[in-house]
Amino acid sequence: MPSVMVWLLRYLSNLEGRNLMAKRQLTIALAGNANVGKSVIFNQLTGLNQIVGNWPGKTVERAEGTLYFKGYKIRIIDLPGIYSLSTFSMEEIVSRDYIAVQKPDIIINVVDASALERNLYFTLQLLELEAPIIVDLNQVDFAAKKGLRIDVKKLSEALGVPVVPTVAVTGSGIDEMLSTVIAVSGEEEKLKPLKVRYGKEIEEKVEALKKLVSDNLSQLCTVYPARWIAVKLLERDTDVSGKLKNYKRGKEVLKNAEKLAVELEKIHGEASPVVMASERYGLANKIAKEVTVVEASPRISLEQKLDAVTTHKVLGYPILVAIVASMFALIFIGGNFLIAGLEFLFENLLFHVEEVLSSFLPEIAVSLINDGILAGVVAGITIALPYIVPFYIILALLEDSGYLPRAAFLMDNLMHKIGLHGKAFIPLMLGYGCSVPACIGCRIMETERERFLTGFVVVLIPCAARTVIILGLVGRFVGLHAALALYVFDLVLVFALGRIAFKALPGEPVGLIMEMPPYKKPSIKNILMKTWIRTKDFIYMALPIIVAGSVVIEALYLLGFMNYVVEAASPLMSGWLGLPPEAGIPLVFGILRKELTLILLSELVPLESLTAIQMIVFSLVTMIYIPCIATIAACIREFGWRRALAITVIDIALAFFIGGLAYQLLPLVMTT
Amino acid sequence: MRGRKKRSYKQGNPRNMENVVSLTSLRDGEIGVVAYTVGGFGLVRRLAEMGLTPGVEVKVLRKGPFRGPFEFEVRGVALALGYGVASKVFVKPGRT
Repeated sequence: MPSVMVWLLRYLSNLEGRNLMAKRQLTIALAGNANVGKSVIFNQLTGLNQIVGNWPGKTVERAEGTLYFKGYKIRIIDLPGIYSLSTFSMEEIVSRDYIAVQKPDIIINVVDASALERNLYFTLQLLELEAPIIVDLNQVDFAAKKGLRIDVKKLSEALGVPVVPTVAVTGSGIDEMLSTVIAVSGEEEKLKPLKVRYGKEIEEKVEALKKLVSDNLSQLCTVYPARWIAVKLLERDTDVSGKLKNYKRGKEVLKNAEKLAVELEKIHGEASPVVMASERYGLANKIAKEVTVVEASPRISLEQKLDAVTTHKVLGYPILVAIVASMFALIFIGGNFLIAGLEFLFENLLFHVEEVLSSFLPEIAVSLINDGILAGVVAGITIALPYIVPFYIILALLEDSGYLPRAAFLMDNLMHKIGLHGKAFIPLMLGYGCSVPACIGCRIMETERERFLTGFVVVLIPCAARTVIILGLVGRFVGLHAALALYVFDLVLVFALGRIAFKALPGEPVGLIMEMPPYKKPSIKNILMKTWIRTKDFIYMALPIIVAGSVVIEALYLLGFMNYVVEAASPLMSGWLGLPPEAGIPLVFGILRKELTLILLSELVPLESLTAIQMIVFSLVTMIYIPCIATIAACIREFGWRRALAITVIDIALAFFIGGLAYQLLPLVMTT
Repeated sequence: MRGRKKRSYKQGNPRNMENVVSLTSLRDGEIGVVAYTVGGFGLVRRLAEMGLTPGVEVKVLRKGPFRGPFEFEVRGVALALGYGVASKVFVKPGRT
């Protein structure tokens, strides 16, 4: 509870600060490796006062918030968590460009005290970028648990910048850190940052190249430090060398850089980035050793035992299945419980609204407002609250505890069969809850090819809404074994399609490289905060499109267009799929919300009158035919228009193809 | 790197190349010292940035099932590499 108090106090002082005139504005950026508690610090600083979005033109998350402290208005940008500042992924380019181009007043480098050497590697790169940094030595409590104590003063002297120890989850040290930010920005505390230097033969080359760079690329040097450009060129950084193309003498500089890099490789017998990385790690290791005091040898903790069991060759799998199943059950049971109450509430509400509106508006307008706009809003809310909220809570729990990398570890080999690696299992697992976060979750894949491939299979995983149909139709009327068979079939389909897509898409598969953060006790506050922020994002993204879709479909319905749809689709519906022709209508509305298809179908055709085969075919088609409109929106955001369209078209074609095939083939195997 | 001829990079001093084995041939709990890594430019650099530079000590924590990934400790951090990636890391068994 004290952490809540601290937070409340900060929130109140925030309110107070807002009323005063801010003395000065500051922009600070948070930078650090993944898994160091950076987002927790960000949440501690900004509370709910934050906006999450994307970096312009990139599917990289950008979080920004404002904070008032001691009369200062502080804008905080959370840079994506990365391992190093070289161009491996979009996250890294985004971060270093932000630091170099936007030049925030201060960069808070969040460092994990329990893995100092590894984290200092990143710190050294920030210093090379000549960024004004202060170091937030986080998770000092966890380091102490491992028997490590960091000499803060020594570390600060070694780096030449202030170091503030914090424990982000409890909020301890955050105020001191902010005071340090203010002190540094007001130049009460001066930075004397460490100059990163390499071995003699590297240093000669860096200096020679630096001179060339500052002589010939003076404009680029106003953005990036000349020495940094030289180092990156020596490392054959493709992003930096690409920037040289616009310069008259860029080619010449590049040629020289290449020559020097080759020389360097001859001396060391290693690729030039490896030489540089070795040197930086050497320095990081030296500093880490100097400032770390080993107080006790670590004991085998509960967390380690948990780690061993959950990644065990045999035991790991039943645990994984149990976790996925209980996640599924929780969302499903909780969702159904909530949805019943909500629907009752909204139906009454809509009924009254309709009454009021009818008194002064023509019938057609009432229908458009009521069945179009309001029904869309209700649809959005009845998806978001009962399914998305519990789902996001469980997701945050799995994330913060550190379980997800273990699941990826267990599934790595299987995922390789479809050209992906273990990490792809995480969005796949999320897909059983909701396709939207699952699509967004594809970001954890490193290359664009992997992201798209994962997205392609993820939308085929039956989400909670599709489960409603499978269980409510096939499970209830045909039997649980048939419902289960549908799930198994879906998995086979995902696997087969994944394999085909993997063979069809150009490019090399990438192997798994993943850090395994230790297990941690999740903090409730952080989980609720994450859930809230993500739910808000979901509503912002999905609600407008659901409402718009709802209005369009309602308008088509009012114009009598639906009859044409039924008529036009009837050869397909009854001829190819063997379904009653009316079944086309629920499929159209199902684009908005998949569980709606079952309700609509039951209104149009008595469910008992359907044969088992018809039920199975209908469920199959609904399961595959199209990701719902919110998922399409997520796909557009994550993969672009063309790929989202490709996924949609392929899924529709596939659904009807498989549905028809099932109609033809099932009578052969089923006796009913 | 589509469209460009792929070069294979191998890092490590020639004098370090005796008695080396692939990381995948170490057993749970065994220790080795990285000699070199092989593979494309991107992979070799990535591994170096994750701390797998020549001379660093690694300790195998566990192997994943069915030729699954390798989890090991390097520079105080637990890292998992897929089997294919792990087989490109060559180590000298035992301590430095």
